[in-house]
Formats: sequence, structure tokens, C-alpha cells
Amino acid sequence: MTKVKNGKVIRKLAARELGKNKKLNVVVILSIVLTCLLFTTLATIGGSLMNGMQEETMRQVGARSMMGFKEALPEDYELLSTAKGIKNLSYNVMVGEGYNSEFKEISLEIRYAGSDQAAKDMFSYPTEGRLPEKENEIAMSDIALRTLGFEPKLGQEIHLVINTDGKITEHDLTLCGWWQGDPINLAQQSWVSPELGKKIAPLRKKGDDSVGVCGYMAVNFDFESSYDIEGQAAELISSLYEKEDLGRMAKQTGINWAYVGSSVDSGFVVAGSAFVLLIFFAGYLIIYNIFYINTSANIRSYGLLKTIGTTSRQLKRMVRIQACIYCLVGIPLGLVTGVLAGKGLMGFIMNTMNVVSRDSYSVSGRLLCMICLFAALFTFLTVMISCRKPCRMAGAVSPIEALRYNETDISTKKTDKKTGRITPLAVARNNMSRSRKKTVVVVLSLTLSIVLVNTMFTLLGGIDQDKYIADSIVGDINITHDDRGDNWNELTKGITPDIIDRFSSIEGCEVHPAYYEAGMVRDDGAHTEKVQGLLDKYGSTDEDTAVILEASVKDKSHSSNIYGIDEEILSCIEPSAGSIDLEKFRNGRYAIVSTYLYCADDENSVQIYQPGDKITVDYADKGAREYEVLAVAPMPYPISVKAYNFFQTDIIVPEEEYFAADDEPAAVSLMINTDDNDGSAAEQCSAVCDEDGSPLIYKDKADYLKEFEDLLNMVKMVGGTLSGILALIGILNFVNAVVTGILSRKRELAMMNAVGMTSSQQKAMLRWEGACYAVLTAVCSAVLAALVSLLAVKGLGEGLFFFRYHFTLLPLICCIPVLLALSAAIPSVAYKFICRESVVERLRENG
Amino acid sequence: MTVLKTEGLTKIYGSGQSEVTALDNANLKVEQGEFAAIIGTSGSGKSTLLHMLGGLDRPTSGKVFVDGKEIFTLKDEALTIFRRRKIGFVFQSFNLVPTLNVYENIVFPIQLDGSEPDEAFVKEVIDALGIGKMTSRLPNQLSGGQQQRVAIARALAAKPAIILADEPTGNLDSKTSQDVLSLLKVTGKKFSQTIVMITHNEAIAQMADRIIRIEDGHITIGGENND
Repeated sequence: MTKVKNGKVIRKLAARELGKNKKLNVVVILSIVLTCLLFTTLATIGGSLMNGMQEETMRQVGARSMMGFKEALPEDYELLSTAKGIKNLSYNVMVGEGYNSEFKEISLEIRYAGSDQAAKDMFSYPTEGRLPEKENEIAMSDIALRTLGFEPKLGQEIHLVINTDGKITEHDLTLCGWWQGDPINLAQQSWVSPELGKKIAPLRKKGDDSVGVCGYMAVNFDFESSYDIEGQAAELISSLYEKEDLGRMAKQTGINWAYVGSSVDSGFVVAGSAFVLLIFFAGYLIIYNIFYINTSANIRSYGLLKTIGTTSRQLKRMVRIQACIYCLVGIPLGLVTGVLAGKGLMGFIMNTMNVVSRDSYSVSGRLLCMICLFAALFTFLTVMISCRKPCRMAGAVSPIEALRYNETDISTKKTDKKTGRITPLAVARNNMSRSRKKTVVVVLSLTLSIVLVNTMFTLLGGIDQDKYIADSIVGDINITHDDRGDNWNELTKGITPDIIDRFSSIEGCEVHPAYYEAGMVRDDGAHTEKVQGLLDKYGSTDEDTAVILEASVKDKSHSSNIYGIDEEILSCIEPSAGSIDLEKFRNGRYAIVSTYLYCADDENSVQIYQPGDKITVDYADKGAREYEVLAVAPMPYPISVKAYNFFQTDIIVPEEEYFAADDEPAAVSLMINTDDNDGSAAEQCSAVCDEDGSPLIYKDKADYLKEFEDLLNMVKMVGGTLSGILALIGILNFVNAVVTGILSRKRELAMMNAVGMTSSQQKAMLRWEGACYAVLTAVCSAVLAALVSLLAVKGLGEGLFFFRYHFTLLPLICCIPVLLALSAAIPSVAYKFICRESVVERLRENG
Repeated sequence: MTVLKTEGLTKIYGSGQSEVTALDNANLKVEQGEFAAIIGTSGSGKSTLLHMLGGLDRPTSGKVFVDGKEIFTLKDEALTIFRRRKIGFVFQSFNLVPTLNVYENIVFPIQLDGSEPDEAFVKEVIDALGIGKMTSRLPNQLSGGQQQRVAIARALAAKPAIILADEPTGNLDSKTSQDVLSLLKVTGKKFSQTIVMITHNEAIAQMADRIIRIEDGHITIGGENND
């Protein structure tokens, strides 16, 4: 068979056909730009987040390599350097840790590097200066330098105390390099020269099993691909080592968490996929509709082309070529705007999330290429799928039908029509049923954006400020004791009467201390059975918990946190069972109780005490006291001791009762309410905590309100942008459908005018058509929005502690007037546009 | 009684060098019940004349009186209302509303006027045109000849002062053309309608009571009925 070389003429024809309707071209390109913009924005945000999370995990791990052997010997390194399928092999050797008195809050690891690669792998390559070469040189992170009290400056003399597995040495070293340390990482790095390193911690030899980590090589490397690293690691070890070494190597093998598949949250993937589908659908709706309208408008010329010998395949190709030309213009524009929008939104998200290592979330050139490739591919796919049906329509056109084609689907409209009264509304209704597909697509497209707006508002409306803040702060200000000292007594009784007095003396401050002491609860028979029940239920999930529960059953007692509080703090407690009766609570014979079990996810399921039960509490010094359980509720977290045993019960009693048992009035925390409007009381409280050496931690409600505002803003910004673009797509689709509907009926409208339909009647008819779209959209949106709200948002909200679900369709109702206004305005404008031509001119057109 | 009269009707398109005089000082009178054919070659100005007569286009100068009313003194909206009450149109390409069935198309101008159609009269018109069995069909279910009969019925149903037919057989085969023209003439007589038809076909024009000839925008023969 001879291949006909007709490609050139078909391409030429396709391009010429495009030139016929410039306005339509703009709409098609705009819709492709919007679809591509949405895909690119989503990919940029998704890509940045995934990349950032992986990078952040790497930083937390402290290594970029995929895999490492933590306690390797020089022969392991030799063996690996001959292995195939691995790259970026490097090693470093642990020399010891910084033992200067300053290293309490953060620790300093001292190593020497086998190569520059080793330092780069650990995010610790000097950005100023270099790695140490001489024995008296050191390179260190700026955070470690500042901890020692130095500003980063090359040549700085540093006195370093090194603890090498218990052996303490002291050295005077000169700073030869530094870099910006990562605040995420509590262990900061420093490099000494191999010369010094080997002196302090000689390399370990095979068979040296002495305790400690120093002197071992940490060997890091990458595989060619990040696919199934665990499998590749197992394969590598079994190929390199004999049987007797397998156990040793398997034990010290470390795979970087950042590369482990589970590090990508499944919820993230589901949400991402849902958005991809949503955009795909929105894009499909508009692009399909435009191509459908375009093909309908051109059907006569396709009929003509077919008459003169163009085949169906050639016509289909023509439509596809046109789609490709549109993509060629639309996709690059969409990519540029999308990347910009994505980066803008990402900045916003990072601000809200208080991301420390912003660099991790930046988009690298390689990632950008992948994002663009993904967005371009998906947009192209959307366009190609959208134009499949119009392609078939163009291919299937019969020349005769094409001449008679007037948007009423000839093949399906074979039935007679019942006679009814002619009014503008009746004609409009008839017109709506001309092209049901077009109507459905426009209505769906508009519905999509309205449903999204409604969903976003339901989410925003459900975010409960009080609930959000209650987990972080009670009252206006909370003061707790810094627990860095690890001194239990200081932590729980660190807020002495003097400190309480200082806060109380600040004008506008109303101080409510929470007192604490650890005690024991005596379980009677019934409650011991309940503890046994917990052991049976949870014993197998966690070994340590099982041991504690077993001991509790055996001893018929378990540990408790006893709190003494006043009525103000009491008012912040929300019981999950029983109710708080102030009179009863005051008399000191009642307690609010809540049991905690480490491995149970549902705190309600472990409550062994219910209102009305008797509970006997052993105070450390004052002996036993019996209370009746008034309600079940834990101590508000922000002012609690924030330390947990595996199994414990919170006992909350009035402060007077607490003092009867414990006479030392030192508090674990303070809840302060302020009545000042200018914030001066808060400032003074903050100043007390900021004093040099003060162990007090200050938390202000205003900070959390700000955080809350930021969270709201992020949801508003991201949701608003997305629904804004979808709304734009919906409106564009609506405008397009209405305008092309009017333009394609230009001649018909002129004819109606000729036989006596006045302009106002025509306008009314067109407005009714618009109103039909609006009403259909409103009904569909109401049904869909209600379903989404009840089925998806409610479920999603239940997973968020700060969410309180309220069903609402108010945003949707607010959208309806806008929709109606648009549905009235757009047809009027389009009609005005066609009326620029006289009736005769329009009648003469061979549309 | 004169139903249609024009005085010095002139239409000039464009200006300057591209100025074209489509109609030049056309004077015309058509009496009640007359069937007049305007004949002319392509570009002679016959369609322009018909559009002026029907108030679809405004003249550069001159007047058109329909049923004694000077139509171009009316504003667009009023002119459209006047048109649906006093003028019936039959177009070459039928121009039926595709979403309305045959009956709805026929009574369309009447119902647009907010009036109730004279059922008996409409039925009589439908029967006379032989489209009684297809009243609930949609236009695309009809042949060209049937569609044009519906268009004639629409023109007749509103009992207008005059029916203007623009090449009514232009899209039909010769057999159907004959049928449609005969029907137009017969029903016109039956319902005492005044009909002005434009055509470029001499044989078709011969079916009319009077022939008005137009050449290069000038009415050369038959502008006024001298019978």
C-alpha cells in the first residue's frame, strides 16, 4: 500500500482553521493555562514538601547517604570500595564528644573525615575555611562555636575537652573552618585532623569488642537507585561477607530513614492524588466543552471537507493537531505561572509551619524539571482525553447532516415535541435541552468550584480556636519550670512561693498555681480486676507496659500524679465523664481522676475509675486519703507535669485539700490571667522568665493565637487560591458556553427578531437560559456539597483535635446571588455584542 | 387600498470610494390582496428593498408606509412589535426555531405578542397548507418543502397586513418549488393576503399578479400598479 504524504496539508488546514476564531483560541489557551497552572502549583507544593521532608529527615539523621555501616573496620571499607553498584563511598571516624561544661543543652560530636565527601554527607562541610589538615586544627558548626561563647571567625583559639569513651583529654585548637549548623539537630558536628583523631581514638581492629563507639569507622555510601534499599543492602552484605560476619554486619547496617518508603505519609499521597484527580476533572470539563463547542461550530466546514474527500482519520488528526498547537502555547505559560504561584504559596505554607530549614524546601533545578515534566504531561493528557470525543464527532460527521446541524442532536431528537405556550422562559428551557452534554459539563464545572468553596469554609469554620489553644495553653499565660536540669524536685517544685509572689505583685496579673506531687493509688479488688483487664488487652503490645501493669496487679497499687488546683484552673477542665460540682469539689472529699496507659491510643478505654467510685491515694509524706471520683478528666496538659509513667492516674483535688497533705506550697506551674489591654503585664511576666539564669518557661496565649491565625491564613490562602482558580475555570466555562451558545445562534436570533421577538424578549430569554444554569448549579452544588461535608469533611475533622464539625451550606447560599448576577450579566453582554451587527447582516451569515 | 408604499427609498452602503448605492429612490405601491413579485438579477438590490419593506434594515433616506404607518419613525423595539403584528416573513432558508415544534413555530409571533392564537384560523391555515399531521414534529424532522410550508403558515397565522417572501423556493427542488408557490398563492388569495415576493427566477415571477423589475437599485418596471 502506498503511503499518502498528506501530513503537510492536514497540518496547514488545521492551522488555518485555528485562525478562524481568535476569541475561541484565547479561551482554549486560557483554559489550558489554568489547568497547567493548577497541576504545576500542586506539583511544586507537593514536590517541595516531599523533597523538604526527605531533606529534613536527612538532616535529623545527620546524613545524606542512603546507607551506612555504623561500626565498621578498615577492612570493611576496603571491601566496600571494591563492591559494584555503590557510589559516593566515604568514611568518618568518631573521636569523642565535647566535654566542655557548655555542652549541656546540645552535644558536640568530634570526628575526623576520610574525605571531603564524608563531611558533605553529614551536612557539615565548611562553608568558610576548610577541613583540618594540621594536628592543631578544628572545624566546627557555628552553633557549637556560639555554645562555647565564640563568634565564628577563622583562626579562633578553642580549648576543647574531649570525652573518648570515658577517657578525657584537653586540647588547644585553632578554628580552620566553620559552617552553619542545623538547629534541627541536637548533636552538632566538629572535625579534627586525622592525625589528631588517630592519636586520641586509634582505629579499631577486628576482635576489639571493648565498650564504646570511638575509633570505629562510619562508612556511608549510596546505591545506584533508591528503589528497595533494604533489599539491595541485604544483597550487598550477603555478596561481600562470609556467613560468620553476616550477623555483625546486619546489626550495624543503617538505612537512612529519609529513603525508607514509609517516610512518605499515606495521607499525603491520598490527598495529593485526590487533588490531581480534581484538577484533571476540572480541566477535562472546560477543555472538553470548548473542543466540543468548537467542533460543533466547525461542523459545517468539516462536512464540506468530507464532501471534497477528507477522510475521517484526517479530520480527527486535524482536531488533534489543533489541540497540540493549543498545548504548545498554553502549557509553557501554565508552567511559568504555576511555578511562580507554587513557590509563592510554598513560602506562605513554610511561614505557617515555622519551618526551620527553609533551604530543604527550595526547589532544585532537577526537581523543577520533574515538576514541569509532570505538569506538562498531565495537562497534555487532559487535553488529549478532552478532545477524544470531539475528534470522534468531527470524524463521524456526514456532509448532509453537517449542513443541517444546528446544535440540536439530530440523531437523538427523533421524538415529537409536546406543544406548550411560548414565553421567553419556555424557549430558554427548550434551548437548554439542545445540548444536554454542554449543560451538564458547565453545571458540573461550576458545581466543582462551589463545592470546594463550601468545603473550605466548612473546614475553616470548624477550626476551633479554643480547642486548638487548649492543648497548648490554659488561661492567658502559663509558666512552667525548665526541665533541662533533669532534677525532678526542681521540675515539680521549682516555682517557689517567692516566684509566685513576684508574678502576683505584677499589676493586672491574677496568678493561679498548680501544685504537684507524685503519689500512689491503692487499687481495691474491683479496680485491680480492671487493671488486670488492661494487662490482658494491652500486655502484648508493649513489653515495658506489661511489666508495670503486672506489678500494679501484684502490688494492688500504681503511681499517680496528685495536683492541687484552685477554682480558676478547675474551670478549664472538661470532664469526659461525670460533671464538675463546685460545692462538692470544694469540700475536699472528691477528686477528678484520669488514668493514662502508655500504649493505649484511646484514652477513654483505659479509665478504670468512674464517677462515684472510691479511690485511695497515698501521698508521699502524708499518708493515705480517700476520695470519691467526681468526674473523669486529665490535668490540662500545658500546666501538667508533662512527665509520664507507663501507667498512672492523675488525681486533681482542691488546693486546700492538697495543702492539708503537703505543706510546701511550691508549684509545678502557674496559670496567669491578665486584665491589661496594652500587654504590659504580659511583658513583665515575660521579663521575669527572661532574666539570666531563670529556669522559668513563659508561654503566652497571644503567641498561640498568632500561630492559630497563621494556620487559618494558610488554609485560607491555599484553599482560596485553589477554589479561586477552579471558580475561574467554572466561570470561564460558563462564559464560554453562554457566549458561544449565543454567537452560534446569531442567525437564529436574527430570524426570531425578524418574525417579531423584541430585543428585550430575546435578552429575557437568554437571561433565563443563564438562570437555568445557575439554578441547576445551585441544586447540584447543594446536594454534592452536603454529601462532601457529611461524608468527607466530617471524617477528616474528627482526626484533628482542634476541629469542631458544623454542617453549613451558607457559603454556597452566598455564591448563588453571584451566580445569578453572572447568569444575567454575561448573556446581556454577549447579546449586546452580537447586536452590533444589524438583523440583515446576521441573517445573511451562513453560520 | 394601498397596504405598502415607499417614497424615495434609498440605501447607500459604505462611504467615500467604497460607497455603493444598493437602492436608489425606489417608489413602490402595493394594494390590498395583491401578489407582487420583485424580480432582479443578483446584486440588483431586490433583497435590500425587501429588508427595507419589512423594517429589518433602515434606509439612508426615504419612507416606507405599511398599512398607512410610516415604519421608520418607530424605534427598534416598537418596529419589532409592529413587524410581528403587521408583517409576515417567508425566508429562503425557512428559518424555523429548531427547538419549537411545527405548531409552536406557527403561533410563535402571536404568542410573543402575548396574544392567544385564533385556533380555528390557525387550523384552517394548517389544513390549507397540508401540514395538519406534523404539528408536533420538530423542524429537523421535516423535509425542505414541509419546512417552507410551516414558514408560510407562520407568516399567515398572525393575519399580517403583508407577507414578504425572500426567494421562498431558493432552497427547494423544482417540483417542490411549484407546490410551495402554488400554496403561497392559493392561501394568499384564500385569506386575502397581500404578498410581496422577491425572486431572480422569471418563471416563478410569472405566477404573481404583478411583476416589479429592479436593476442596479432602480425600479425600472411596475413600481406602481397601473391596472
